Amino acid sequence: MQLLRDILDKQVVDREQVKVGKVDGLVAELRQGKPPRVVAVELGSIALARRCGARPGRWAAWLVARLSGKRQARPHRIAWNKVRDIGVDIEFDIDVRRTKIFAWQNWLRDHVVDRIPGA
Amino acid sequence: MKKLLEISLGVVTSVGGFLEVGSMATAAQAGAMFGFQLIWAIVLGTISITFLVEMAGRFAAVSHHTIADGIRERFGFTAFIWPLLVVLLVNFMVLSAEIGGTAIAAELATGIGFQWWALPVAFLAWLLLWKGTFGLIEKGVSLLGLVTFCFVVGAVILHPEWKQAAGGAVPSLPHHDAATYWFMAVSILGASISPYLFMFYSSGAIEDQWDESYLGANRAIAGLGMSFGGTIAVAVLIVAALVLGAHGVNQVNDYNQLPLMLIQIFGFWGFVLFVASLAIACFGAALEVALQQAYLVAQGFGWTWGENLRPRDDPGFSLVYTLTLFLAAVPITLGVDPLRLTIFSMALTAASLPLTVVPFLFLLNDERYVGRHRNGVISNAAVIFVIALGFVLAVVTFPLQMFGGT
Repeated sequence: MQLLRDILDKQVVDREQVKVGKVDGLVAELRQGKPPRVVAVELGSIALARRCGARPGRWAAWLVARLSGKRQARPHRIAWNKVRDIGVDIEFDIDVRRTKIFAWQNWLRDHVVDRIPGA
Repeated sequence: MKKLLEISLGVVTSVGGFLEVGSMATAAQAGAMFGFQLIWAIVLGTISITFLVEMAGRFAAVSHHTIADGIRERFGFTAFIWPLLVVLLVNFMVLSAEIGGTAIAAELATGIGFQWWALPVAFLAWLLLWKGTFGLIEKGVSLLGLVTFCFVVGAVILHPEWKQAAGGAVPSLPHHDAATYWFMAVSILGASISPYLFMFYSSGAIEDQWDESYLGANRAIAGLGMSFGGTIAVAVLIVAALVLGAHGVNQVNDYNQLPLMLIQIFGFWGFVLFVASLAIACFGAALEVALQQAYLVAQGFGWTWGENLRPRDDPGFSLVYTLTLFLAAVPITLGVDPLRLTIFSMALTAASLPLTVVPFLFLLNDERYVGRHRNGVISNAAVIFVIALGFVLAVVTFPLQMFGGT
């Protein structure tokens, strides 16, 4: 398996097959004398912006901090040991509703979508 | 039997997707100015889009991923961002043009200026997307879209010299206004080979839950649907050549000139048919382009999406089409000329083709996605041809726009 070819940018689904996002970043741990090891995948706008360069990454983090508070100003992470299946999609043994990944969509639902009749 | 019904529905749907403001306007302009001489551009465009649509459907049926998914996953975000931004921009202008086309139809029908119709049209489209399901939109648009067959009937009634029309299917050099001729060829190609068409088609295959058992149906739908769409576009060109050209209308620079095409043949009902055709074809395309914007963003970022879900279950997706529709109505409300916007956005579509067509060559040959249903020699040759055509179009569009634009 090649990390960049087979993991990065692939569709992430949770254990109910809900589409969570794409793998926007990878987190590896450097170990003395041993090969590095993947510990988590990252999702979200900050992780994406960082891939376009350090400056866009800082801008995105600043923007997210302004919009939803300092505590949210880092990418969402899913631990690699939760991975269940790697195919065209990557399935993690998580329930996305118990994470903060959909926080902005939930906000959108509560504050915008539900106020429009017929939603 | 069920498959046969699905195939016929699919064919009708793809005709609806094919025929929109761009193919009608460019065909009418080309017919008025150059007679049958530009039929080859429609034929070439139709063959190209047939191959791309078949591949987009096959990719989705086998991999359960759309073309937009594939581009992001296979090439990574830093590559995906370019087709994403360019297609969002091109689609936005096309959507604006479609809203403009519907608004012009409303103006022809009521006499109230088209600017006033842009927001109501956008609102109606939004309401259908917000409340409706994919099936409703697909079937509704396609059944109503059958009205555009009146152009084919009209072309037959006019008894064109069929031999001469067939001669137009072979590319030839222009005798006059060379730059305009080539610019129109580019616009016709852009109107036929639209990224929104094949990207929407692959999302539709997921919405309709296609799997490998649909590969035959997919081939039939792509082949028949696109050929019927192309036939109607050729019919528009023939009618424009025989009616507008004969009346000395060589330059179509106003939508108000166009109803004349059918009035000559059908009298008052020709006017009604023209207005209905324009309204339905443009409105249907507006629905599809708006949905396609939402598909593209949601698929690119991996969100939950689906027109069959309630908006509260995919708020991000729903927000994208909502914003897109109302923003796209703004230029028309401000009085931007719909015909000029149409021609310009078709040319821009042609210029953007390499970004969306090059990925086909990789995705349709990637075993992880399409397994043993990889492209054969013919499909790969077709993709390479369209890529080459796309690069030529990308290079020549802007110079031609300056010298031959209308």
